[in-house]
Amino acid sequence: MNRELLPVATAARTRAVLLDLVRPYRALALGGFAVMVVATSIGLLTQPLLGAVVDLVASGEPAAAITTPVLALVAVAVTQGGAMTLGLALVSRLGETVLARLRERFVDRAMRLPLEQVERAGSGDLTARVTGDVSLIAEAVRVALPEMARSGLAIVLTLGALAILDWRFLLAALIAVPVQWHTARWYVRNAGPLYARQRVAGGAQQQQLLDTIGGATTVRAFRLEADHTAKVAERSNTAVSLTLQGVNLVLRFYSRLHVAEYAGLAAVLVAGFLMVRSGAASIGTATAAALYFHSLFAPVNTALVLIDDAQSAGAALARLVGVIDQPEPPALDRPKAPQIEVSGLGHAYDEGRPVLHEVDLTIRAGERVALVGASGAGKTTLARLIAGIHRPSTGTIAVPGEVGMVTQDVHVFAGPLADDLRLARPDATDADLREALTRVDALTWAETLPEGLATVVGEGGHRLTATQIQQLALARLILADPPVAVLDEATAEAGSAGARVLEKAIETTVEGRTALIVAHRLTQAAATDRVVVMDGGRIVESGPHDELRSSGGRYASLWEAWSGVRTTSENPLE
Amino acid sequence: MRAVLWRAISGQRRDVVTGAVLGAAHQAGEVMVPVLIGVVIDQGVAAGDLPALARWLVVLAVVYVALSFSYRFGARAGERAAERAGHALRMELVERVLDARGGAEEGRLPGALTNTATEDAKRVGAVNMSVMLAFSALMGIVVAAVVLLRVSVPLGLVVLAGTPLLLFLGHLLSKPLEKASEDQQDRAAHASGVAADLVKGLRVLKGIGAETAAVARYRVTSGDSLAATLRAARAEALQTGLVVALTGVFIAVVALVGGRLAASGEITLGELVSAVGLALFLIGPLEVFAWVNAQFAMGRASAARIAEVLAAPHAIAAGTSPMPVPVRGSLRLRGVSHDTLKGVDLEVAPGEVLGVAAVDPADAISLLRCLGRTADPSSGTVELDGVALADLDPAALREVLLVADHDADLFEGTLRENVGGAHPEAMAAAGADEVAGELPGGIDGHVAERGQSLSGGQRQRVALARALAADRAVLVVHDPTTAVDAVTEARIASRLRDVRRDRTTILVTTSPALLAVADRVVLLDGGRITDAAPHADLVTRNAAYRTAVLA
Repeated sequence: MNRELLPVATAARTRAVLLDLVRPYRALALGGFAVMVVATSIGLLTQPLLGAVVDLVASGEPAAAITTPVLALVAVAVTQGGAMTLGLALVSRLGETVLARLRERFVDRAMRLPLEQVERAGSGDLTARVTGDVSLIAEAVRVALPEMARSGLAIVLTLGALAILDWRFLLAALIAVPVQWHTARWYVRNAGPLYARQRVAGGAQQQQLLDTIGGATTVRAFRLEADHTAKVAERSNTAVSLTLQGVNLVLRFYSRLHVAEYAGLAAVLVAGFLMVRSGAASIGTATAAALYFHSLFAPVNTALVLIDDAQSAGAALARLVGVIDQPEPPALDRPKAPQIEVSGLGHAYDEGRPVLHEVDLTIRAGERVALVGASGAGKTTLARLIAGIHRPSTGTIAVPGEVGMVTQDVHVFAGPLADDLRLARPDATDADLREALTRVDALTWAETLPEGLATVVGEGGHRLTATQIQQLALARLILADPPVAVLDEATAEAGSAGARVLEKAIETTVEGRTALIVAHRLTQAAATDRVVVMDGGRIVESGPHDELRSSGGRYASLWEAWSGVRTTSENPLE
Repeated sequence: MRAVLWRAISGQRRDVVTGAVLGAAHQAGEVMVPVLIGVVIDQGVAAGDLPALARWLVVLAVVYVALSFSYRFGARAGERAAERAGHALRMELVERVLDARGGAEEGRLPGALTNTATEDAKRVGAVNMSVMLAFSALMGIVVAAVVLLRVSVPLGLVVLAGTPLLLFLGHLLSKPLEKASEDQQDRAAHASGVAADLVKGLRVLKGIGAETAAVARYRVTSGDSLAATLRAARAEALQTGLVVALTGVFIAVVALVGGRLAASGEITLGELVSAVGLALFLIGPLEVFAWVNAQFAMGRASAARIAEVLAAPHAIAAGTSPMPVPVRGSLRLRGVSHDTLKGVDLEVAPGEVLGVAAVDPADAISLLRCLGRTADPSSGTVELDGVALADLDPAALREVLLVADHDADLFEGTLRENVGGAHPEAMAAAGADEVAGELPGGIDGHVAERGQSLSGGQRQRVALARALAADRAVLVVHDPTTAVDAVTEARIASRLRDVRRDRTTILVTTSPALLAVADRVVLLDGGRITDAAPHADLVTRNAAYRTAVLA
């Protein structure tokens, strides 16, 4: 199967979706912005008030005269603090609410993506978007958004205040802008690719460590210690050297900003000198201008550093919107029939490489059929087509209704055990849950968990064995209660002892359902109504276990080879 | 813990010292900027003296060049020290984990250990940067103090006492807020965790048609999380607002004291401007102290975790007896008791294929642990060619005796790298040649970390091929075909003897197909060996065996 990553939205589409998300909160957005403007503007009164103190002293006023501007400074500080609190709270409220709506829409759409599409993209793609991209945006909303709002407004309004002091101060200050502009562009151009490489290297290092540490027993058993130590060293060195490259880049970025700072500061001071000499400004005004400019350093640096965060958040947003924008997949439109009727079924994942040929199969209502064959025989493909995960290339499948499927892919949903089960039937009572667990022989261990069914399981919770996890999967199927059940090697991940427990659980799970069971342990096949043997994408034998066993065909020799008790001498494998 | 921290710093002392000296120079430069602004206003602007203006602007330029370069090279040295120290610790941890005597993974999840090797190592390394920054900040404060006290002792004292007081007040006010905010952050992080979890379980959800239920559940989680985040955001906004207000009030106080001193002629106008600038500047280095304190606390906690792993007791001791040469491959267990095993006696002849069928899987695992020396038996001995395993060096032992676990891990890389070379015979015997046929790149096809890109059956076949390819004098395999289909399993069984001819092989399994090809099968029941005979004989004569193997 060729990789085909999930789509990424265009910049225009990303903007449109973002605007669409913000629209319901227009009032909040405007209110937050207005309060921030007020808060920042009040703060800008500080420098002129300090200038006023300087002027009062310069004009030889008595010391008591400065009390008034000082009291004003206190008032400014308190009001600014209050307004800033309100403004930041409003801005965060907007950002966080929009983020919540965004992630909800993403999850909603992700859950409805056709499995085929997700698998073509590789399961990592969707997971990376829901973890990496969402948290990147969340971090940007939590930290960068309020910072950006504060710094951005501080810069704009400070420049405005400089202009109010005298437009020539603004002109002098703007000398720094070309240098900053150029520096920021240079930084973003270099930082993006470098940080992308850093993330890749960090991921690779993490992966190697997980591989080496998680597989330490294997590494020791095969004497691969030197090999693995060298691999870890190489990846760690790569990560370290990329980090240091990043540090270098940031430091050079600051060096260039220092040039801008100096140029602007010198220009403002010279402008002050000229204007005081010509009488166009007081010393206090010149002081205020210099202090304004000096106070710009911090927000300018903050804003320029945030450009990078904003860029990565933008890219992450485009990846989320790419999924959100996916059209609702058309419903799988399959004919209904009282039993499963497969006719003329053929399938190819890649064009020209068919894996199923002209398969005809009828499974009567309530019948349990085992699919047996070598890997690559087409068992899983047939099971997945019947489960409705893929659309067949040719032929038709009629089913009596919903088809439930349990495969060897196991997952425990993080949270209380009862919540995990209720995913299958949200309105299930505790008694329903207990009954389902009883049927798969899991109630005993479930009740001995530290907090019974309320025990938190899954990632970060109580660890369950492979067998227990698969018992849960079967219990979910019982709760979902579909008329048709497809089980694809549901015992494969459990050891041999677990397999036996699961086989029994599968028997009770499929009771009263039409069932297709892909089996690799032949005892499991023996317990079904009918065994279907596949080879090379075709059905080659079909009949009850006992009948096939005594017919001397392919299944018979397979059974003998499997049980290790030979009754005939022919080679089962040819 | 202290030793770990000290090693991390002393190992990088050249960079740390360089960083600290240059960092101090940078801080001194930063102090000079507001001072020089004051001087320019005083001697240039207020005095209307152009040459003085030009002179002082040149001085300002020189200060800028100095502070810029010292920052750049100082910070670079500090970060280099941090990263290198982190790398050294990482490698030390990996070497400890891979030590042949084992024990470091005991009671620790791979994810947690990996975290220690990445995050904890990084944090301890970062202590280097903290040391450098703390020293620089201290120098910045000293220089600022000297300048301020030279301007005016009372004003200097107001600023020097006021700044820490301001930070302390801010800290005091924000402490309860921070605590609340952290709690809320944790709950907020929950939403993204749940979303990732649902996506990981997408196949399972789709299998039972639970997409709608999952979406509904996520909406509730997301809503809860939003409420928590908003509470945290409000707390943070209040904290920021408080700091802004406190700083403003402090500046007003400095202006009041400084203005009065200037009005009475005790200080110049320029000195007043410098004092205000320095008051604002001092907040920076003092915040660095608060930050460094937090970094040190984290560094200490991380160093403790690292020290604990490094000092973890070994699971077994390394023996010193020489390896028998050549290895014949005979094994003898004498009265071996361990966990569930109760005095197992067993002899395995060189070149024999022995089947071990355990009624209780725990017995099988105990036996495997003793054979592979992940643990030594609590009593009794295991001997290889007459030498007790406990007397041998475990690393050397593993070059002749391999225990291939049921859940043996594959590694990221090509199929060929995983098997350890081409080894066509081993590949074919394990059915891994078919896996190569199914992979896009064949034997050079890519295998994802831990073999996750392969199905369970494919993984097992590759793992078995690797075990066969290692070609050890003694091979112990545990349940190698539980995820393999019956057809392939039969084929593997039929080829196993051939590929292992003349070398000792122990098959610990309940698979009848594999047990059927063994010379002899022993039945392990209740921690003891209760029967021994070829598979076909046991099937006919032993009911317990039939149940264990054929049911």
